[in-house]
Amino acid sequence: MSKNETNFQFLERFDKRVARLAKQAEKYVHTDPDSCMFKLRLMVETMAKKLTALQMRGDISKDLGAMLGALERSGTLPRRQADTMHAIRRDGNAAVHGSPTPVPTAMRRLSEAYKISGWFCKMMKRGTKIQLDVFDPPDPPVPIDQQTKQLHGQIDALEESIEQRRLATRESLLMFGPQEDVAEVTRRITEELKALDNVAAAAGEPTIDADFVALVMAMDLEQIEEDPRHGVDSRQAKREAEEQLEGIKIHLAQREKEFLAERTFLLEQRSNA
Amino acid sequence: MTLLLDLPTLWFLSARTMAVAGEDLPTVQEAATGLYAQAILGLTEEECRKAKDADHISNKTLIDCLAGVRALPREESEKLLTGVMMIAYADRSMKPLEVRWASMLASAIDVTPDIFQRCCVNARIIASMLRPSGGTA
Repeated sequence: MSKNETNFQFLERFDKRVARLAKQAEKYVHTDPDSCMFKLRLMVETMAKKLTALQMRGDISKDLGAMLGALERSGTLPRRQADTMHAIRRDGNAAVHGSPTPVPTAMRRLSEAYKISGWFCKMMKRGTKIQLDVFDPPDPPVPIDQQTKQLHGQIDALEESIEQRRLATRESLLMFGPQEDVAEVTRRITEELKALDNVAAAAGEPTIDADFVALVMAMDLEQIEEDPRHGVDSRQAKREAEEQLEGIKIHLAQREKEFLAERTFLLEQRSNA
Repeated sequence: MTLLLDLPTLWFLSARTMAVAGEDLPTVQEAATGLYAQAILGLTEEECRKAKDADHISNKTLIDCLAGVRALPREESEKLLTGVMMIAYADRSMKPLEVRWASMLASAIDVTPDIFQRCCVNARIIASMLRPSGGTA
């Protein structure tokens, strides 16, 4: 792609600010990849704010991570787009905090931002049909030498491996495996549950008035929590659960730090060469 | 003959059954399932992924699940019940099939009403910590 062309021209019709940020990111990708990441992060933040204003009500957090979480919970933001936006948020934050961004990383995020831009336009104007061309990577202003090419190849391989490790973590956390047909599994479980419910009813167990049960349980729970026997257990359980949960969070944060360290190490190798 | 299942498979089978009984599957409730598995049940990422392999879970029935839960050591089965109740509390309402599944699990484990109540209290505490259905995460 030549210097004056852009992949993001189509965005102009939908959101001028997002389009401007995307084009700036595209412009900086080779010359200043850190600035490219700042612009991409701001682009994602702008998208999230627009979607939030359009789709959600109530007091919305100003923190981008929380905003994306709320959009996911509301069903506005699908998982694939959420993963991409979180990846841009993470790398944008890392760049802001002084971790250098390699060109291949910025290019990868720019290409992903291009893909979610098409989805964003459809969200902004329902019924819009957008046919995105294949992303055309901007050319470097000057041809890159063999050594830099080699380093970019290594960084790209590292980024791919980081993506795979993040994906593995994500898959481990979800309720269904990536190869499962969720609709079919849900149908089968519902069928089995209803059959078991019928068996229970035929065996003389009472029909369940769920609202009544929920009300009784809620009232019971209030009393139980105040009961010293359970109160003590509950406080202990809470402490233990908090510690365990904190352990997992620390582990995940540590993994992200290690990813950044691996990336920085590669860049430093190049600087020292 | 019923084949006894391992803890990771039992966890994901019983948790997703409770989620299905609740009639919707919000993404964050899904993520809470994995967090609970790793933080509270002590399962590894690898165990969690393997449990959802077709070989492990696709041909298992709820009867298999109940039989497996019955055979678990007491501490594990109580933790499993607590986690399942956490899923049930995620949307702050109970549907008839959710109540039925909780009741079947409790019967399979053979817990006393006292222990069941303790599991419910712990479940509610953990549900509020993981915020599976609202608030900032």
